[in-house]
Parts: sequence; structure tokens; C-alpha cells
Amino acid sequence: MTHRELELQLDAYVDGELEPEDARDLETHLQECADCARLHQARVTLSAAIRHEVPALRAPDVLRGRVRATLRDAAGTSGVRRVLSPGAARWLALAASLAVVALGSWRLGLSRAGDEALAGQVLASHVRSLMPGHLTDVVSSDQHTVKPWFNGKLDFSPPVYDFAGRGFPLIGGRLDYAGGRPVAALVYGRRQHLINVLLWPATQGSVGGSLTVATRQGYHLLRWTTPEYAYWVVSDLGMAELHDFAQLVQRADSAATIPAAARALP
Amino acid sequence: MEPSELERFEAIVLPHLDAAYTLARYLTRDDHDAQDIVQDAYLRALKYFGGFRGGGADGSDGRAWLLAIVRNTAYTWRRRHRADALATEFDEEQHSDAVAEHHPAAALERDGARQSLHQALDRLGPEFREVIVLRELEGLSYKEIGDVTGVPIGTVMSRLSRARRRLQAALCPNAKGA
Repeated sequence: MTHRELELQLDAYVDGELEPEDARDLETHLQECADCARLHQARVTLSAAIRHEVPALRAPDVLRGRVRATLRDAAGTSGVRRVLSPGAARWLALAASLAVVALGSWRLGLSRAGDEALAGQVLASHVRSLMPGHLTDVVSSDQHTVKPWFNGKLDFSPPVYDFAGRGFPLIGGRLDYAGGRPVAALVYGRRQHLINVLLWPATQGSVGGSLTVATRQGYHLLRWTTPEYAYWVVSDLGMAELHDFAQLVQRADSAATIPAAARALP
Repeated sequence: MEPSELERFEAIVLPHLDAAYTLARYLTRDDHDAQDIVQDAYLRALKYFGGFRGGGADGSDGRAWLLAIVRNTAYTWRRRHRADALATEFDEEQHSDAVAEHHPAAALERDGARQSLHQALDRLGPEFREVIVLRELEGLSYKEIGDVTGVPIGTVMSRLSRARRRLQAALCPNAKGA
């Protein structure tokens, strides 16, 4: 085997693409040939260096909005397909994506008209929060900084948790407005994804509702109520992971509010 | 298009927006071009979605399918703008160190290893740069890379190997790779 062929095999081996039999042969050779062993080590190092120094990128939020808006535009006018020039679309996309948010919520699989309107508002809040400078009013991964920040700004003190240990670090909080009232918005992260949690006190006599799920424009929305709070969670994170997150919040909530829950029982 | 079909498209294809942008960005080395290419690619993808019959449970099919469209869009873009200065950046031979130094990550980063790696990556021809991005950054298999780039697996292997040899030389200029 020529050196060039060996190098090809080595690369395939490092990538886990070599047939098991060939891989065993190569491993034997690596124990015998110092040159190839050195090359193998260099390739492993290189791979690690690339992954460390050359980042996979996150699409800018403005592009996210542009793509969504152009898709809506193209799908909606399929009879006379009109494709915006990218330059024009760049300007229109953001405005259009907000209009879509406002108009598009009718397709949410939620039961009541009020919920659907609310879902639209929550989604709009999420999209708006992704625009530069709109995400957080208070930036802190410390729940004991974020929670007191809401004092005097809201007529309730929202429960704030940090799930950094579970891969959902707290990023911060902000004031927002939904359902005709000021609400608390908590921002959590998951890798490159952002999760917005909007919550406000449950209406009097609420018994708590199970989880409702909806998907709009590639965003997932989860909603549930506890005896104390109405919760909305929205993110572009995958549904499975978002479910995990919702369960973390629910568990943390029930751990924190056992006395209140007990009071609610007859 | 039926609303449900658009929703299916969004569910399958939108999650790969970051991967699409990463590929376009490293191919063009320009944020604006990359954004325009990605947007254009999504429109094309929507148009051809009827012919897409992927069904990988992990969604990997959708990713390779989309990335192939992004790549084609980038290459069409390059041909169309061949007279432009941006297009000449695509050409390995004409690509000088001066251009590499304008790479934002390289310019800002003092770390020598990172800078030489970015410069070396910039100097690779697009057919080599894309296999590095697809393999190392996106973790695609050889078969998927072949699907995206439209070449046989053997060609994927040799391009990847050649690209790595050059990057390795840039990373450790004194070490002779076996």
C-alpha cells in the first residue's frame, strides 16, 4: 500500500468510516509504524483544533425572520409566484414576519379563541425578543438577582429557577405584555437556542391545566397552568427537549409550592 | 401551497437554518452573500419540496437535502457574480494572505493557531473547504457529503484527506506529516 493510500485509510479511520476489518488491519499497522502513528495523532489533533477554532455558526436572527417571511410570501402566492429580490426582502422580512405572527395564529391547535390570540401574542413576544437588544432587561444567570429585579415592576413575584445543571442555564428576564397585562418573561438557553418563559398569576379559581402544545412557524409553544400561574413557553428548540424543560419547571414549581397546592385541596 | 404542506416544510427544513448558514458563510466568506444565498436556497427548497421524499427519523435526510441546495445556490451565485471581486475570492490561486487577514475571526483573534487555521481554511478551494465544513462542523457521513456535493465517496475521501494535509501543514508548519 502506498503512503497516499495509507493516509486516505487513516482519515477514513479517524472519521469512523473504515470497514471493521480494514480498521483492525490499520490498528495493527499503527502499532508497528511510528510514522503512521504520528500522522494519526496529528490528524486527531487537527480534528479537535478545527472543531475548537472554527465554529459552526448560528444564523443571524434577521435571516431567520427573512427566510420565514419569504417562505410565507412564496407559499401564499404560489399561483403567481413572486420572488422578492434578496435586497428588498431584507428590508421587508422583519415587518412581514411580525405581520405573519399577528395573522397566522388562527391555525394554532388550541381550544379557545382567547388562547389563540394569546398564543399569537406570546409568539410575537418571542420573535421580538430575538431582535437585537430586546431579549433581556436584566441579564443574570443568578436566580437571586433576576427574581428581585421584578420587585416593584409587577404585582407578583415570579418563581425563577436556574437549570444550568440540567443544560438550561438562566440568561435573564424582562418585562413583557401579554393577555392585556404586564407579565414576567424569563429567558433560558439551550446550546444556541433561546427559550422564553412568559408567566403571570392564574385567574381566580383556576385549578391548573395540563400541558397544551402547538407549533407555529417552526416555533414550539407549550402552555400550562398551575393553581398559581399561567405559563407559556416558546422556543425554536426541538419539541422533545422543550418538553424536558417544561417538566423541569413544573417539578421545580411543585417542589416550591406544595403548601399552596395543599391549601387548594378541599 | 396548502398551509399544512408549508408547515411540514418548515418542520423538516427550518431546523437546519444554522447548518445552511454555516455552509454558505464558509463558502462565500461574506455574511451578506451567505444570507442572500440561504434565503434563495430556502425558496428553491420550497419549490422542489414536492420531490423530496426523505423520511429519516432524525431529520438527517432533510439536512443533507437542504445543504445540497445551499451548495448549488452558492455555486450558481458565484458563477453569476464571477466578474465581481467577491467571486474572485472563491479562486484559490488568487486568494492572498491579505484577504485571509480580513477574516473577522482571524483578524480579532490573537491566538496563532486559530489564525493560521482560519487562513489556511480560507486559502483552500471551495471544494476542499466544503468537505471540511460538512465533516468537521456538521458531522455528516461520507455518504451524506457525497450526496451534498454530488461526487462519489472516493472523491469525498481524497478531498477530505488533501484538505486536512494542508490544514495540518498550516497548523504545524515545522512538522512533516509522516
